[in-house]
Amino acid sequence: MTTFEKVANILVDAKDCEADKIKMESTWAELELDSLDTVELVMNLEDEFSISLEMNEDMKTVGDVVKAIDAALE
Amino acid sequence: MIKTPICEILGIEYPIFQGGMAWIADADLAAAVSNAGGLGIISAMNADGEWLRKEIRKAKSLTDKPFGVNIMLMSPHVEEVSKLVAEEKVAVVVTGAGNPSKYMKDWIKAGIKVIPVVPSTGIAKLVARNGAVAVIAEGGESGGHVGEITTMSLVPQVCDAVDIPVLAAGGIADGRGIAASFMLGAVGVQLGTRFLVAKECNVHQNYKNKILKAKDIDTMTTGKRLGHPVRALKTPFSREFLKMEYNSNVSDAELEAYGAGSLYAAAILGDEKKGSFMSGQIAAMVKKEQTAAEIIKEIFEDAEKVLRGGTKWVK
Repeated sequence: MTTFEKVANILVDAKDCEADKIKMESTWAELELDSLDTVELVMNLEDEFSISLEMNEDMKTVGDVVKAIDAALE
Repeated sequence: MIKTPICEILGIEYPIFQGGMAWIADADLAAAVSNAGGLGIISAMNADGEWLRKEIRKAKSLTDKPFGVNIMLMSPHVEEVSKLVAEEKVAVVVTGAGNPSKYMKDWIKAGIKVIPVVPSTGIAKLVARNGAVAVIAEGGESGGHVGEITTMSLVPQVCDAVDIPVLAAGGIADGRGIAASFMLGAVGVQLGTRFLVAKECNVHQNYKNKILKAKDIDTMTTGKRLGHPVRALKTPFSREFLKMEYNSNVSDAELEAYGAGSLYAAAILGDEKKGSFMSGQIAAMVKKEQTAAEIIKEIFEDAEKVLRGGTKWVK
């Protein structure tokens, strides 16, 4: 499974996002996630990938998070 | 006497914080609360560094007890004031309206104890991992910017989520609220509205009068559409704001512009028409002006009585 697929699964499972709406370029606003949702999402991703992620304002899309995870895994 | 771990961690007598209310919580109020044995807090709100430095130095001249600064993370001056609190080595930094993680390392290095206000278990876990010594779980009963979850629901969930001490805030006005908070797992409380009418509080007298007069149903929340809801007393201003909020012809920018400066108008000018008189749902339980010392002594005496009677239904 790719990082994107894993992230998408977590979004579907933890945040009830609709799977077909999740794209690399989807923003949190488009997925209707607020700042509290994104913090919780980051905690979930850290557990899933056993990494430490620094959430910042530049991370606006699913793709941004996927890239950050891949960088942390390298 | 009531002593909890937060008293030891901070070197305070009573486990109570005074909320960092913007335009209201200045050096005079913070020093009065600290001198009375609680933790007084200056609100950095949207002010710049120069204003905050003056207030911090004033508080230092008024008390030798620890006090804190509340940093509002949406402030345009957040970078400047976050450096300044480190320079001034304030004892405690409380944060609100966001995720303080990126500033926490510098504060902790400066020896500051960081205690963020958290509206969810996710933020609580995040700040605990980043070195917070405690968190304030603030429910939506509070005044000013509010989260969705109530104190009753939020406090036990945050207590379960983190291993650091938890303070409860939102909806607490007296000893019963303190006792209930302890039953939910908190080891301290933060009160805003009750301290707003403290004799040492410099807020406009009209504001105090409105709180003293308010009834249980007199607060409302507005601003949900803008993503940061606010609880305030029902006034011509807040009713009009709500109407505009539900009017799709009014843009978000117009709504923001209508709200700008409304807390200043209430707290400093006492303007009953244009002011936003932010208040918690317990406004009706605030019945008289007292000194900070009188407030703290009274509510902890009551809390002790309530806690001692807490087993009366256990057969």
